[in-house]
Amino acid sequence: MAAAAAAKIAEVRETTRVERIGAHSHIRGLGLDDSLEARHVSQGMVGQVSARRAVGIVLQMVRDGRIAGRAVLLAGQPGTGKTAIATALAAALGHDTPFTSMAGSEIYSLEMSKTEAITQAFRKSIGVRIKEESEIIEGEVVEVQIERPATGVGTKVGKLILKTTDMETVYDLGGKMIDSILKEKVQSGDFFSCIRFTRPFMSTDCKITRLGRSFARARDYDATGQQTRFVQCPEGELQKRKEVVHTVTLHEIDVINSRTHGFLALFSGDTGEIKPEVREQINGKVAEWREEGKAEIIPGVLFIDEVHMLDIECFSFLNRALENEMSPIVIMATNRGITKIRGTTYKSPHGIPLDLLDRTIIVPTQPYDEKELREILRQVYSNLCSATPYYPSIRCEEEDCQMSDNALAVLTRICKETSLRYGMQLIMTSSLIARKRKAHEVEVEDIKRAYQLFFDEGRSVQFLREYQQEFMFNDVDDKDDMEMETM
Amino acid sequence: MSDWLSQIKNAKKSCLVDRNLKKVHYAFENGREMVEEYNMDTNVLTRRAWKSKKELGLQDNWEVEMGDPEPTPSKDETLIQESSNQPFVTRRNTRVNLEWRIRNLPYPLSIYSVTVNPEEGCLVIKTTNNKYFKKLAVPELQRLNIVLEPCKISFSHKFNTLIVVYEKPNELIEFEKLVLKEIQSVKQKNHDMDCHPS
Repeated sequence: MAAAAAAKIAEVRETTRVERIGAHSHIRGLGLDDSLEARHVSQGMVGQVSARRAVGIVLQMVRDGRIAGRAVLLAGQPGTGKTAIATALAAALGHDTPFTSMAGSEIYSLEMSKTEAITQAFRKSIGVRIKEESEIIEGEVVEVQIERPATGVGTKVGKLILKTTDMETVYDLGGKMIDSILKEKVQSGDFFSCIRFTRPFMSTDCKITRLGRSFARARDYDATGQQTRFVQCPEGELQKRKEVVHTVTLHEIDVINSRTHGFLALFSGDTGEIKPEVREQINGKVAEWREEGKAEIIPGVLFIDEVHMLDIECFSFLNRALENEMSPIVIMATNRGITKIRGTTYKSPHGIPLDLLDRTIIVPTQPYDEKELREILRQVYSNLCSATPYYPSIRCEEEDCQMSDNALAVLTRICKETSLRYGMQLIMTSSLIARKRKAHEVEVEDIKRAYQLFFDEGRSVQFLREYQQEFMFNDVDDKDDMEMETM
Repeated sequence: MSDWLSQIKNAKKSCLVDRNLKKVHYAFENGREMVEEYNMDTNVLTRRAWKSKKELGLQDNWEVEMGDPEPTPSKDETLIQESSNQPFVTRRNTRVNLEWRIRNLPYPLSIYSVTVNPEEGCLVIKTTNNKYFKKLAVPELQRLNIVLEPCKISFSHKFNTLIVVYEKPNELIEFEKLVLKEIQSVKQKNHDMDCHPS
């Protein structure tokens, strides 16, 4: 009996799978109003008003899509929301505009030259919207069956039953499809759509979409997200040929057309280097389509975090690449001041050569003030609560899991004195401590305890200063010194 | 009618004989390619396939219009595919009829209805239990701009298979005779290999 109940609970959990939360998962957009003025607190963004306003204009620039090869530099101290702004921009651009995010150190690889890595990143950020006739499967999900092998290894087997008002069909699923169905959390009653067998396989085509829930299955107590729409069960055939408009990136077209790899490379991930002839050919083709009105070019955004990790060769390559008409808008972020350019002995602001800096527009970010810190902490905390289902109430709305005002004040002070990141770490740890004593609210004592258990960087440094002698390898040096002295 | 016939006449044709099968390849002026396979004993078309051309990539495939479909690739490569026990359509051609065989349909004959959709120029198969629905295009008639007539349809059900038969209109029969004559004028090549590997 009890076992059965437990199984039932586990089943319930399964449908609302725990999301993983990153430092920026509470961000849903830039938080601008229609006239591109920044609202003080909106869509998960707090403060940083002038930087957000500036990025709002960049957003407009991307949407207009006319200007190629502009560079924007977000410069500011650590923990002032540079990555947050970039994430917000990605969210504001929406699905259809390509947004590539990379860290400056990602370009160093043994398989690819640095310039190839940058070129690929550039081409990943340019989308081509093409109208093409393809086969499409559209229907309401009746049942999803996915069986994992008992041993835990081996391929999964899956079946999907779809229906329209007129017919019903069973589909066999391949491994990649099962993964994406699990990821999208497709369940019975969903409206399922998948563009299929458009040879060549495009990664974007294989992506399935959950367009909404069926009316027939809608219930009052369904916990639905903001975007859920209710739709009627479709009519007619499940599989149709349709003119479909879809967006692919130039990089994807490159990969498909580079004969040595083929389309499978898109799935395996390693694409290696692509020959310049292939790229030239594709540029020509795309230009041709554009003239015929078949395709439309959508310039996207390439975000390079920690841009000071690029070296002088990359910077000079960037200079040139930005002048190409097929280049996206490049947003770079750095937290360095005047420092050495990597690969040289010269010093330059932000570690970026002056000629490249000259081509960029620089958006500074300022440190947050106390009020803003407090608001960010509150937002991060409520995001944490709503995303983790094992908190006190089943549907954690913001008022259900609050942090007491005192605790928030203390946390804000800690942030002010140490760093925002440390404060965010304390949120998670202290809420776990609060949960351990079965409390609904995080109190000051929980934060105190977390503060004692986990050191911030400042205290850690202090600790090291005091006890350095007792750490490993210090004694060797000391002995050497002593020997020196005795000699 | 004359439009499609002139296209066939103007196409670059090559012909190959393999035992009692005659295979004809058409390269049309607009760049499309088609292959037909005739049974030489009966002079009836057994297969017809079109080369599908995709804009983006290099993967070209043959789309079978008539005859058995191409074998599907192995399972691990496909992402989503109808289960093998689901209904599937194959087409056949006889001297006087166009035929569709829909296999794996277990329901009795009384369930089905076959109607004509004149706007799209296709046959529509419906089931009263809402388990199966299919639109069958009839490209042969579409190319000749012949309107579908409901009185020419008949269907039967046997061995889990629904057989839909559409009686060929006279225009189509006449047209096929003309095409056959056209093909017979193409120089044939025997399938025997010219070189003799030791």
